[in-house]
Amino acid sequence: MRRWIRRGGMVAFALTLLYPLTGLFSRVGPWRWDAEVANPTVASIRVSLIWTSAAMLIVVLAGTPVAMYVARTAPKERLWWQSICILSILLPPLALGILLSMAFGPSGWIGRWLDHAGIRMSNSALAFVVTQVYVSIGYYILGAIAAFGSIPPMLEKQAALLGQPPWRVFWRVSFPLARLGLAVAFSVAWVRALGEFGAVVVTAYYPSGMPVQLWVNLQSFGLPAVMPLLLVFLVTALPLPWVAHLLAQRPHA
Amino acid sequence: MLDARILKRRRDFTVDVHLKIEPAGSLGLFGASATGKSTVLSCIAGIEQPDGGLIRFGGLQLFPPPLPLHLRPIGYLTQEPNLFPHLTVEHNIAFGLGRHPTAKQNGWLADLRQSLGLANVWSAPAARISGGQARRVALARMLARRPSLVLLDEPFTGLDRQLVRELIEGLLVWKNNIGFTMIVVDHQAHILERLSPHVAVLERGQVIQQGTWEEVHAAPATDLLKKLLDPL
Repeated sequence: MRRWIRRGGMVAFALTLLYPLTGLFSRVGPWRWDAEVANPTVASIRVSLIWTSAAMLIVVLAGTPVAMYVARTAPKERLWWQSICILSILLPPLALGILLSMAFGPSGWIGRWLDHAGIRMSNSALAFVVTQVYVSIGYYILGAIAAFGSIPPMLEKQAALLGQPPWRVFWRVSFPLARLGLAVAFSVAWVRALGEFGAVVVTAYYPSGMPVQLWVNLQSFGLPAVMPLLLVFLVTALPLPWVAHLLAQRPHA
Repeated sequence: MLDARILKRRRDFTVDVHLKIEPAGSLGLFGASATGKSTVLSCIAGIEQPDGGLIRFGGLQLFPPPLPLHLRPIGYLTQEPNLFPHLTVEHNIAFGLGRHPTAKQNGWLADLRQSLGLANVWSAPAARISGGQARRVALARMLARRPSLVLLDEPFTGLDRQLVRELIEGLLVWKNNIGFTMIVVDHQAHILERLSPHVAVLERGQVIQQGTWEEVHAAPATDLLKKLLDPL
């Protein structure tokens, strides 16, 4: 009996958690999809998917070796590097956006140099990608550190003693054993970058990604113009982390 | 020939040993727990870096500077089998042979499968086999690469006598076949005596006696060694 009461409590909690999704079925009138709404909306989907993918490529290429290094370094040193990664996560997105626009703007150290070179670091695809990298890489690295940290170092050393050079040890031992943890880390970073609004709205209002376009549609046309993009946003953002998380939770995964 | 001078600071003492072993020879490292035996093997294998010294094997200088692990012709077996849990038994054993083993290597693998009694677990995931089977697989994996130098760090701890006997017999057969140099660490004298006629005894990181087992039994250098050699 008690078990059923507990289970009933869990069902009630789950329903409360999922309740916001019922907003998709709210009566907001017929959804708007005329040219005025559809053109910028489709463009925002394209911007988000292409440039977030580019940002994720940078996150993985830069974040994986960093995570590997931090996971295998001495505990004291690891703490320092981890605290820096956590700092990038803890910054409020809007504050991060303002800091990025100042650091990479004409008055910043690197920004000044970029400005001389004619590289625009605000309202450009580059600004969009750089901002997404900054908001998401900390999530990926921390997840990847945990994934690599769960592999006994002796397995990698044993693989090396069996004649495998470092890159083959990575591909044949480290990566296969960490892959589910890396998938979860990647998916969290993906959803974080794709859904980023606060920082991106400061650094790259144009080209607008999906979150900014959602805001624009809401402000300009109201809820009927928001619903189609909202649906697309949920379909592109949610499945990857959801499946990765479920796979990682499997017994003996 | 192995010529290893190893200096390594531990918390309570400094390991300072000098070992020389002829090609295809063997040596047992004997002593009480925590006397630096495993440290010596670990430094030769490259798992730990010595603080000083010189390690040469054949024409290779292993230290200094430390030679990368993958370039060392060393087989290293410890108490933990350290099998790759995402691979099958077969793929674990063939791990060091590259993606496409030659016909000769495949014949070699078949011999190992047969002699170590691994046929019934050959295709099983390494994560699903028993502890005793895992030790056999670890031994087969080490031998499959035909190492020139084999380092065994108490690989028989916790195994039943029958399995220990089988593994020792297997190891000696393969030692004759391959002709590798071998160093074995154990704190059980009867196991070391089976594997090597020569022994070096360590206390607090120093070699206090070296010679054949007969010599050590006849005149143990310290009271502690005498106690260690006494049967229970």
